[in-house]
Amino acid sequence: MGGYGDVQMIDENGIRMDGRTAGDIRPVLINAGIIPVADGSAEVIWGNNHVVAAVYGPMEAHPRKIQKQDRAVLDVRYNMAPFSTTDRIRPGFNRRSREISKVTAEALESVVLTELYPRSKIRVEIEVLTAEAGTRCAGITAASVALADAGIPMTDMVISVASGKINGVVVCDLNKEEDNYGEADLPMGVCANSGELVFLQMDGDLSPEEFQVAWDYNMGAIAPVHEIMIEALKRSNGGDE
Amino acid sequence: MPTPPVPELLRAHLNKLAEKDERLDGRGRFEGREVILETGVLSNAEGSARVQMGNTIVLAGVKFQIMTPYPDRPTSGGFMTSAEVRPVSGLHWEAGPPSPEAIELGRVVDRGIRESGCIDMEDLCILPGEKAWQVILDVFALSDDGNLFDAFATAAMAALRTATIPGEKFDVGEDRPLPVSKTPMMCSYHRVGGRYVYDTIRREEIGGAERIHITLGDDNHVHSLQKGLKGAFTAAEFDEIMEHARSRCAELRDLVNN
Repeated sequence: MGGYGDVQMIDENGIRMDGRTAGDIRPVLINAGIIPVADGSAEVIWGNNHVVAAVYGPMEAHPRKIQKQDRAVLDVRYNMAPFSTTDRIRPGFNRRSREISKVTAEALESVVLTELYPRSKIRVEIEVLTAEAGTRCAGITAASVALADAGIPMTDMVISVASGKINGVVVCDLNKEEDNYGEADLPMGVCANSGELVFLQMDGDLSPEEFQVAWDYNMGAIAPVHEIMIEALKRSNGGDE
Repeated sequence: MPTPPVPELLRAHLNKLAEKDERLDGRGRFEGREVILETGVLSNAEGSARVQMGNTIVLAGVKFQIMTPYPDRPTSGGFMTSAEVRPVSGLHWEAGPPSPEAIELGRVVDRGIRESGCIDMEDLCILPGEKAWQVILDVFALSDDGNLFDAFATAAMAALRTATIPGEKFDVGEDRPLPVSKTPMMCSYHRVGGRYVYDTIRREEIGGAERIHITLGDDNHVHSLQKGLKGAFTAAEFDEIMEHARSRCAELRDLVNN
């Protein structure tokens, strides 16, 4: 968290620098099937974030020791491309991307019917091409669409969104400037149909009342994004039928 | 991941097609796929491009850093190319440190651009002996259906040609376009079914033998060559592909320059 700054990020009428009100998310655009050689793929353009996800499999799991006798393993990688941020990122995994890969895999394992594919592996590759705050949420959302695009059986799709606090006000879906001065961050991954949570992190400082507002903002954003996901899948998989 | 074992059926099929002078996707021997080029596609890069050739899709992004010039060249900046072929781009690319194939890709693309002298290294000097710009070119594969070499090289030149030196961000003067004086272009040929073809798709690469990469600058000057994989070729074969490379590189150059 950037801590308390003097920068005024939200005016007296509750309007944020990019014109949103506290509970608004940034514009979201989703396309499925954008990587022709993958079994399933998607791109999520969430504000200025641009995240792509590809799914390969199910396939035989190698080496054998990673196989699970009763289910498939999800091999998830989250990575930021070297040109995705203002300062270039040196290629290669770091602790942050490893942690995000791990919690993303665990979120998706909660909805994918992995028991249908014992001893196999499903590869999920998440690549951040442009990062503007909220890439882990966009990554989980993109991976959900890519899995559906690949025809992997799932009980539900996961949508992820974060709320935070700027100038002491709780707002939904912080953009980069807000995130730099943010005082809290609460990313959640929610199943579209069941409403259950499969991903949850938080850092910063929220009072019980603020926490409830952040939680409610996140929950309110799930259905609209779910609609956009469904539309994307219909477009790439042959219409409304 | 090692190259998958070549199914003999695929190789036999490619040989049959070659006898009739045909290819898997119906193209002629030296017929390239349509190149769709878009620039300014990555908002956090100082220059960027996306190239699509059939089902092959790549990105190139240019970033800048401030470096201390090397002691033997105190008035020169730097140029570095890194090829990222991450597992997102195909089943045959695995996670981990860059494979020899990915390193070769980056180095061949780098040589063609560097040796053409299209970037004036002296122009990148900010303060002799102390500060200079380092141009970092990252090429990134999104979808690999063959011939990443040419896709990378084309995207790289388009990204460099549209790059802005971010003086204001680093507090060293004004933003200005990166001067790029030439447009070296690469053409790649692969032996498939016994003869060389241009711009292979992935299945041709799996069933093919050796490959040759040619980078030509303006006025057809040769700036880099690379022969890869097992196999041998004759001088007459090389003459034939070099002649094709001269005309094709000119077409690609026009595409990138306009």
